[in-house]
Amino acid sequence: MELQAIHDTLKAAGVAGLLGCDEPRPANKKEKDPGRAGMPFLLVDPAEIVPLLTACRDESRLQFDLLIDLTASDPAADGDDLWVLIQLLSLKYRHRLAIKAHLPKSALSIASATAVYRAANWHERECSEMFGITFEGHPDPRKILLPDDWAGFPLRKDYEFPTEYHGISCE
Amino acid sequence: MGLLEESLDDNVLTTKVDWLLNWARLNSIWPMTFGLACCAIEMMAVGAAHHDLDRFGAGAFRASPRQADLMIVAGTVNFKMGERVKRLYDQMPFPKYVIAMGACATGGGPYFKYGYTVMKGVDRIIPVDVYIAGCPPRPEALLEGLMKLQEKIKRTPVIRRPAHTL
Repeated sequence: MELQAIHDTLKAAGVAGLLGCDEPRPANKKEKDPGRAGMPFLLVDPAEIVPLLTACRDESRLQFDLLIDLTASDPAADGDDLWVLIQLLSLKYRHRLAIKAHLPKSALSIASATAVYRAANWHERECSEMFGITFEGHPDPRKILLPDDWAGFPLRKDYEFPTEYHGISCE
Repeated sequence: MGLLEESLDDNVLTTKVDWLLNWARLNSIWPMTFGLACCAIEMMAVGAAHHDLDRFGAGAFRASPRQADLMIVAGTVNFKMGERVKRLYDQMPFPKYVIAMGACATGGGPYFKYGYTVMKGVDRIIPVDVYIAGCPPRPEALLEGLMKLQEKIKRTPVIRRPAHTL
């Protein structure tokens, strides 16, 4: 099923928070802008993410039974929002879906997807420590890769590198 | 020693205690089973049949720091791992030796500029005897490093050791 058809199916099922279909910005060779790679995606309202994912999983004509990836991005050049990016796959129908939700840096909070896809657990922990996004309702919100007392969010564009850690110089 | 040796049987040798102890040590440097990244793959190749670390008596990779003489820091050391590396080093009995294998363990390697959690050289937490260049070093380079360590052990005074050493 193509993206537009998936969008229409969700809309017909009465799912809220659909903000339309879009695709990554194409390259602009005149300004040496490489554009953004990726597949066309469904833009959604972060407040409605859990009912939306539930519908993606349970709707009989969609059946997205696999969460392939959940990550974030800080495209500082494109405004002040952080993106939460989710990719789903249906093993039955062999179709894929990319979901994108914009989070303003002033309110980096979104509901946890672990209640719908348990695979989201570790992805959200990594996302949380790298970007500072809070996943509300996460069952185990510890850090996963970084040391427990790490300060700052390394994958943010405004991240400042530490000069020392536990007395060991980083320079 | 000529007179003394002539008075002994053919199967009795005379030598120096320093030489004998160092000879025993440098021909049985047991490394610790311990790898952190891609350098560990090369280290495993050195342990395997083709490069055959056993020729140097150093092929007995010990699964416990208590039985190991040598720590080959094979790979990227980040801060979280660094604490464990330090603890493992502290658990090794004297005399103990450290080889910093490859660019990462020597000085941060490719992560020197943007590796926010990578320690810029394992010598910031433990003393290193031999540094090996390469990313990763070829197995021959690790063998060369081991031979350099053997040369170092050969020069170490055991009985009359300087006051400042342990």
